Amino acid sequence: MELRFSREEEAFREQARAWLEANVPRGPKPAPHDLPGRRAYDMAWQRTMFDAGWAGINWPREYGGRGASLMEQLVWYEEYARVGAPEVSTGFVGLKHAGPTLIACGNEQQKAEHLPRILRGDVVWCQGFSEPNAGSDLAALQTRAVIDGDELVVTGQKIWTSFGHIAELQELLVRTDPEAPKHKGITWVICPMGVPGMEVRPIKTLAGNADFCEVFYDGVRIPLTNVVGRLNDGWRVAMATLSFERGTAFMSEQVRLARRLDEVIALARRARGPAGKGRAIDDDEIARRLALAKAEVDAMRAMTYRTLSGTARTGMPGPEGSMIRLFFSELVQRIDQLTMEILGPAALEGFDLDGVPEAGWSERYLTGLSQTIGGGTKEIQRNIVGERVLGLPR
Amino acid sequence: MDLMPGPEQEAIRDAIRGLLADRLPSARVRQVMAMEIPADPELWRAAAELGWFGLHLPEQAGGAGYGAAEAMLLFVELGRALAPGPWLGTVLAARALAGDRGQRATLQRLLGGTLRAAVADDPTGVLGSNAHLDGTLEGVLDLGAADAVLVLGPQHTGWLRLADAGVSVRSVPGMDPTRRLGTLRLSGVGAQRLDADPGALRRLGTVLAAAEAVGVAERALEASVEYAKVRQQFGKPIGTFQAIKHRCADMATRTEVARASVTWAAVALDDHDPEVAEWAHAAKALATRAALENTHDNVQNHGGMGYTWESDAHLLLKRARALEHCFGSRTAHLDALAAPWRSPA
Repeated sequence: MELRFSREEEAFREQARAWLEANVPRGPKPAPHDLPGRRAYDMAWQRTMFDAGWAGINWPREYGGRGASLMEQLVWYEEYARVGAPEVSTGFVGLKHAGPTLIACGNEQQKAEHLPRILRGDVVWCQGFSEPNAGSDLAALQTRAVIDGDELVVTGQKIWTSFGHIAELQELLVRTDPEAPKHKGITWVICPMGVPGMEVRPIKTLAGNADFCEVFYDGVRIPLTNVVGRLNDGWRVAMATLSFERGTAFMSEQVRLARRLDEVIALARRARGPAGKGRAIDDDEIARRLALAKAEVDAMRAMTYRTLSGTARTGMPGPEGSMIRLFFSELVQRIDQLTMEILGPAALEGFDLDGVPEAGWSERYLTGLSQTIGGGTKEIQRNIVGERVLGLPR
Repeated sequence: MDLMPGPEQEAIRDAIRGLLADRLPSARVRQVMAMEIPADPELWRAAAELGWFGLHLPEQAGGAGYGAAEAMLLFVELGRALAPGPWLGTVLAARALAGDRGQRATLQRLLGGTLRAAVADDPTGVLGSNAHLDGTLEGVLDLGAADAVLVLGPQHTGWLRLADAGVSVRSVPGMDPTRRLGTLRLSGVGAQRLDADPGALRRLGTVLAAAEAVGVAERALEASVEYAKVRQQFGKPIGTFQAIKHRCADMATRTEVARASVTWAAVALDDHDPEVAEWAHAAKALATRAALENTHDNVQNHGGMGYTWESDAHLLLKRARALEHCFGSRTAHLDALAAPWRSPA
């Protein structure tokens, strides 16, 4: 066991850092509610990375990616977060979900058509998985698709579709065989957005933004050639990349969280103490909670490194990724809540009449409440740990 | 970068686990904890033959040539097995003596299993810091099972025999029956000064105590999971209930958090990482938390059985309590982590 990276990996780090420092956008970021502005900002940055050969760091070279090793990916994401490069944001579904799914399960034509466009920042993808009655129990989804000639005709409703109003394409799960057991009759299909029969309605979140939407389908027609994998094999397709995502999603998150905690500590050194006297950091309880958070953020890094070490050895991420996920989501919320206490009444300020916060601590605290809900609630994560890691009965 | 045990380290761990499972099942732990000197002489001999006490020492010093990372693996296993006796003191004393050329003969006795050492962690200098040590230190783990004491003072490392003039030892039955406490009373004892940095030894001790806590946390988790799979109520295994399942998931997560932190700290010791002090504080705080919370949950998961003397649940919990005070409590380590932030702005 060792902490040091190899000489080649350190050379790669220098190269990545130099490029990032020279190219990361330093101008003002678009406001959280300015979705077209955010889209333009994210896609321009993606294009910058693509032109310099840094896009799709873990994607195979044949599809325009960099084909970096696991350790190089870690180094890249660490440096990426360290210089404060833009979070993946509107590019998330394309880069982290639909793209990897196409790489794993798409046919050559689908890969050739879509992968370069994702890497170049030409297109925003969204996800059509959850439904009003299929959240944690995703496989209960009911949105129907029937075959009509060489098309699928889709009727139903999706919800929690992030960036549905600015996306061109959607990874959509539909039920194509209602007679089959629930995991067996699902199909994964590429759905173009803004087509006849589709209606997209934004949903305002408790944080005041409208990042996600409901999508209604009333006879939406999708060519059968858009099916990824086989008909009725969509559950397997949807799960194909999940374990990998769980294992590697935290390379940059752990650095970002460490930076954020450093800012909270700095805040506690200048904010007034809870009883109105001294500094917040002079309060023993606040100091100890910050120290525990520091230990936990360090442990988060160690867990990420251990998971990567295991993945590098076996080629497959282990089930402990679900524990990282659970730990991380709750840790973020603990740090956010502690930040609110350190801020004191100042945490309540900075909102407009529509309840929309300025970018800052309170905005992050409120959006952070989704950490233990989106992508599988913390209850589902605990079921996964209990059943798949510990082998407890269902 | 690699933070998972390699094949050689896995082999070391498996060998240790195998021997402990064979020689030190729960029934044997209960026999040993009832002995006048609570350390298993046969196991101690076997451990010496297998080189456990010198796992972390260079080969020139009679060790196996490994480092803190392998010693960490040993202590996780000792924690899992609830091994009674002064393992930590002996391993730390071996480290301290190995750096001192004048102590080779004593070192060989430690490595050979014919001499056992407790450790008196005295960061504030209760025992003084002069050539002659004076004072009383309470709560020294395993003192009654040791022949010698490694004193880790504020600035110096001392070595004394219990048989030396001016040393008196009182054994105090404590909460943890597997790790008896002792009060060390010194009056004008001319302890030998060792050429060893007490801060570095304290850090190693902190990380190895944390490793032991990880082992306790891991054993508590396994006991709960085994029980939740077989214990039936309302016609099904209690592990199907989310109240139990989710608690077990939290126990597992806590254990992995602690294991990752302790592993990093141990490797940081071997790599002479500049942030090793921070990692040691973090590791001890997280590992003790995992041990305490898991052992409490394990009592609860076992219901009425968990409240009995017959169940091992209480032995795990009591070991966790003892480890909390071995090389500093969670609060002390958190305060140490926060100290740099609290200096005047």
